Amino acid sequence: MLGGNLRARGGAFLVPLIAAATLFAASTAQAQKPIVVGASISETGPLAVDAAYHLKGIQLAVADANAHGGWLGRKLELKYYDDQSNPGTAVRLYTRLITDDKADLFVGPYSSGISQAVAPLMNKYEKATPMPGASLPAIFSGSNKWTFQLLPPATGYLDGMLPLMKSHGAHKVAILQAQLSFTLACGQARLEQAKKLGMDVVYSTTYAMPPPDFSSIALAIKAANPDGVVVCSYYPDAVGLAQALHRIGYAPKFFAETIGPAEDQFISALGPITNRIISNTSWWLSLKTSGNAGFIERYKAMFHEEPDYHVAATYSAMEVLGAAVKATKSLDQSKLRAWMATHEVPTVEGMFKAGPTGLSIGFAQYMFQIQNGKRLLIWPVADAQAKAEVPYTGQ
Amino acid sequence: MNLDARQVGQWIERRLAAPAAAASVSGPRPLTIGILAALIACAGGAPLVSSAYILQLATDLLTFAALAYSWNVISGCTGYLSFGQVSFFGIGAYATSILVMHTAVPWYVDAVIGAVIGGVSAALLGTIMLRLRGIMFALGMLGLARILMVVASNWNFIGGAAGLTLPAQLTPIAVYVAMWVAALVAFGLNYFLLRSQWGLSVIGVRDEEVAAAAVGVPTSWVKTVAFILSALAPAAVGGLVAWNRSFLDPPSAFDPTLDLQVIVFALFGGIGTVWGPALGTLILVIVGEQFWAYLPELQLALYGVLVIAVVLAFPGGIVGVANRFGWLRRRPVAAPAVFPRVSRPSQPAPPGDDTVIEVRDLTVRFGGLVALNGVSLAVRRGEMVSIIGANGAGKTTLFNAVTGFVKPSEGGVYFQGKLVSDIPSHRRAHQGIARTFQIPRLMESLTVWENTLLAARHGKRRHAAVEQAAWALHMVKLDSLWLEPPGRLSPGQQRRLEMARALALDPTVILLDEVMAGMTRDEQDEIRAVLRHFRDLGVAAVAGVEHIISAIADISDRMIVLDRGRKIAEGKPEAVLRDPAVIESYLGKVS
Amino acid sequence: MIVLQLVVNGVLLGGTYILLAQGLNLVFGVMGIVNLAHGSIITFVGVFTYWFVTQTNLSPLLLMPIVFVLALGLGGALQRLLLEPLAKLGNRRELLSLMVTFGLSYVIVETAINCFGSQYVSLPNLQATWTVAGLAINEALVVAGVLGAVISGCLHVWLHYTASGKALLATSQNSTGAVTCGIDVRRMRGISFAIGSALAAIAGVLLILILPLSAPTADTLTILAFVIVALGGLGDYKGAVLAGLLLGLVQSGVGYYLGGDVEVVVPYLLLIAFMVLRPQGLGQAAR
Repeated sequence: MLGGNLRARGGAFLVPLIAAATLFAASTAQAQKPIVVGASISETGPLAVDAAYHLKGIQLAVADANAHGGWLGRKLELKYYDDQSNPGTAVRLYTRLITDDKADLFVGPYSSGISQAVAPLMNKYEKATPMPGASLPAIFSGSNKWTFQLLPPATGYLDGMLPLMKSHGAHKVAILQAQLSFTLACGQARLEQAKKLGMDVVYSTTYAMPPPDFSSIALAIKAANPDGVVVCSYYPDAVGLAQALHRIGYAPKFFAETIGPAEDQFISALGPITNRIISNTSWWLSLKTSGNAGFIERYKAMFHEEPDYHVAATYSAMEVLGAAVKATKSLDQSKLRAWMATHEVPTVEGMFKAGPTGLSIGFAQYMFQIQNGKRLLIWPVADAQAKAEVPYTGQ
Repeated sequence: MNLDARQVGQWIERRLAAPAAAASVSGPRPLTIGILAALIACAGGAPLVSSAYILQLATDLLTFAALAYSWNVISGCTGYLSFGQVSFFGIGAYATSILVMHTAVPWYVDAVIGAVIGGVSAALLGTIMLRLRGIMFALGMLGLARILMVVASNWNFIGGAAGLTLPAQLTPIAVYVAMWVAALVAFGLNYFLLRSQWGLSVIGVRDEEVAAAAVGVPTSWVKTVAFILSALAPAAVGGLVAWNRSFLDPPSAFDPTLDLQVIVFALFGGIGTVWGPALGTLILVIVGEQFWAYLPELQLALYGVLVIAVVLAFPGGIVGVANRFGWLRRRPVAAPAVFPRVSRPSQPAPPGDDTVIEVRDLTVRFGGLVALNGVSLAVRRGEMVSIIGANGAGKTTLFNAVTGFVKPSEGGVYFQGKLVSDIPSHRRAHQGIARTFQIPRLMESLTVWENTLLAARHGKRRHAAVEQAAWALHMVKLDSLWLEPPGRLSPGQQRRLEMARALALDPTVILLDEVMAGMTRDEQDEIRAVLRHFRDLGVAAVAGVEHIISAIADISDRMIVLDRGRKIAEGKPEAVLRDPAVIESYLGKVS
Repeated sequence: MIVLQLVVNGVLLGGTYILLAQGLNLVFGVMGIVNLAHGSIITFVGVFTYWFVTQTNLSPLLLMPIVFVLALGLGGALQRLLLEPLAKLGNRRELLSLMVTFGLSYVIVETAINCFGSQYVSLPNLQATWTVAGLAINEALVVAGVLGAVISGCLHVWLHYTASGKALLATSQNSTGAVTCGIDVRRMRGISFAIGSALAAIAGVLLILILPLSAPTADTLTILAFVIVALGGLGDYKGAVLAGLLLGLVQSGVGYYLGGDVEVVVPYLLLIAFMVLRPQGLGQAAR
């Protein structure tokens, strides 16, 4: 009886003790539960090579964040699946990340094509998602609320080319576009720019992908006698057109192509005819953007190679997400979205700033030129590593 | 002895097949239907209560099932292997998307309209594409898909290469239900083609297009209809997928890997069967989903290996393997439990002396070769005419001209006094001209019963067609073998089946092309027995091309001799056979 | 002047097409099947050539005899394993062989992707452009065209003037008749597929010098080769020469006057037009 009483009294203390201990354990367990960042990466399929860089940018960002204790006191955990370069698969995988894996944060996939498929899904499920693989402006049009462009829009590719030409006294230009959504957007923008600058578009055509034989198109260009040729291209057509121009022995004074010349094997594929070809990029090793030097160093330490603009894009996407999470002190998607829509974030890619429909209005466009087998930034002049060399001679 | 896998397989098949045949004739038992319905209800309901990911997976599965069944319609059932069915997927996707974006009609109705547009496209495209056969058709469809992708990339109204963005609405359950409907429709079409009497025409076209025309199947029409049917579900599915993803562009609309996957699924499950596409899709998508997660780099390679393995080792797919154990066997169409009692009386042909078949000045040239040179002859009511002649005399060409398989260069073919030279073969069959073929052209994948039923169908209701077919088989004494496939018949029995097919048409005249060739004496006697009383069977006249003169001389009323494209003798058999010109044409002159 | 250059371009392009198509033609002529793996063989060898040259810095032309022999062996083995079992299936053989080569093409493409990656690659060799009478002529295209002509010439000589070639020709025209003449038809089929693969391999070595190739887009080459073969009259190697030239000239003209969008549809439109209007193709022989 006494023992029972004692036990009852002791028990009375135990309950709140246990409750407190449980609560304490729960809160620390909550604090230790990682923040899951979900993405779908094209590990296989035609986009695999570039998507590998896309992935590494996210991985570096996750490692960097965790080295500083994570966000909101919680470590980051990256969860990704292979979409096999297939938009339909990517949609299914993001659905899985949202509903099954219940990821907290999301990063968009590689390439405009797959981003275009995923964006409506993120809008439907109302998840604030940076899209570092989407240069296509159409994705960020009227009905888009929840996704943000983390690349400078394709309409700005080679923005500086026509002014550069004009400053050298050129006024006749040939503009070609591949029939891909982002190259068409780019080409359209260049045509409008030419009109605004009062330049004469002496030849213009689009061509389907996979690219046709360019020999007759090259002849048509030559017959039109432009001062410069601007091509909104992808990779194989950039190579094909350069080869075709060379084969008819014609070299325009100015020659610019998008995307292709930035790929590693462009120079080894074409050799000396790449000399003085100009191309576009959204990021460069020599830029003095926020944290760029450290970013490059840490990437080299982790992956033993130099980063490229894909890495910079995804790393910046994570920087933006991180800034939003820390500023709103939450993982609530509405709050994150509202913050990202109204704030600027300095990143390695430049200043992130989103227009009303998520379109990127902060990132700058750059141009580089291949000079004797090396790629050097030539525009804007303020960031340039070297002066643009003219004319293009095909040698 | 050199045993190879195929022979062993066939041996096993023969051992296991016999007892199962009888059991398969009866219809599905109520218990089976009940179990199936319950399974479908569970399978249908399960994804609705689990995660959105499973729902999406199930939706994708149904998408592939619908596509696989539709591919099966044109490639499996009709035999026109297509490498470009994605063309209709894309057409439907674009049609639906445009309607969604520019009209206030709800999306599921738009998908139905998209399906209709897909069907109309198939009708139009079919006028060109269906003129091709075999490999040319397969690769022509592939080229068509490419052309459509380029057209879509250039057509700004439908978004060009940039594509279309549709209003984003989260309706996964509705899409799932709609996809079920599409898959069931596609399944239903397959079921209809493989279990209905009309479907026999399709399979007839697949197995023996020429013979099908000869028994009255309007082959062009059948192919067009099959082509249209094969386009409906893909077009609807394309629209649903575009809606579900809220975006569409040319590469995703005309994605060639879609074709590859669909072909693999249907092939793996069992091409040309009722359950094959469903089984193939189910197994490969679910297994694949897990398997590819571990070996994604090998996915397409494994699909390739699967295709090769299926074609080489088990061309019938899973269903083919199951068949060997007596499961999932195809039930013969419209076949009662036992051979029907023959209640149709034989009606003798009305008497008369009009001309049934006549050719006037018929000349047929193949390039520089003159096969028939101004031949005129007639077959009158009530008579059996034998047409003989040395090889190359033009006998088969004559038959081909009369039945419409060869166009006369000059002259005309008359049937019951009316010119029929411009009437297609199948219509001549309807009018009453029946023929057999020199080498029996029987539909190998149909049973004896169905081969006959195919001919008996035209213009009759189901019950009457069954009666007619039973009667025809009974007349040639093939009742006991009615459920065998023609491949298991002896040559003599196959000939009799051809004759049964001719009789099933309720013909006015039967043209026999070397019907005695390769027959044993007993088999010849069996055929002669049928031929002797053709008038009692309702046939007005019989004409036979023959080499084995001894077999037909005594039952022929008249004999006509052809030599190098010309008629050189005509008259009673005894007289003709003694004609020196005839003897010379066969034996040559001794000079 | 422009017209002349267009013609020269068209002829050179045609030469490339002939090179592309003759291997496929031979296989179809003798075996009656369209080898859907044709493009994948070309691409595999092309991408392999790229890898080889970037690793060893040797001339790609050195590879030609090596890949020729290797492809001969592999082609013969594949034919014996995968296609010969189908030979006795009568009229279903055509379509079933199509399916088998269809599957094979995916196996080869995936192997190429796993070994060499999926991106576009090309080589800068043979880039010299000569100017002859004001016309620009590129070295790589000339080599390819010359080789295409040489191959067609060798085929002609072999098929018409040697015993083995005539046996092959006989088999292609009538296999039953050939058997009765004592020709080992099985061996003929094996030989034709082996040589067809070897020709595809050589085409691969040269094509990587002319345009960028990537494993995932290998089927584009198969379709292009098929278009040329079909235009020329399936199995007719003389017709294939005519068809290649026709296609090259038409594409050259269309590309110049109508732009890049139309140029790419030309092969498919020509194919469908021919299939409907003149199914026997350009060659003399009507199959």
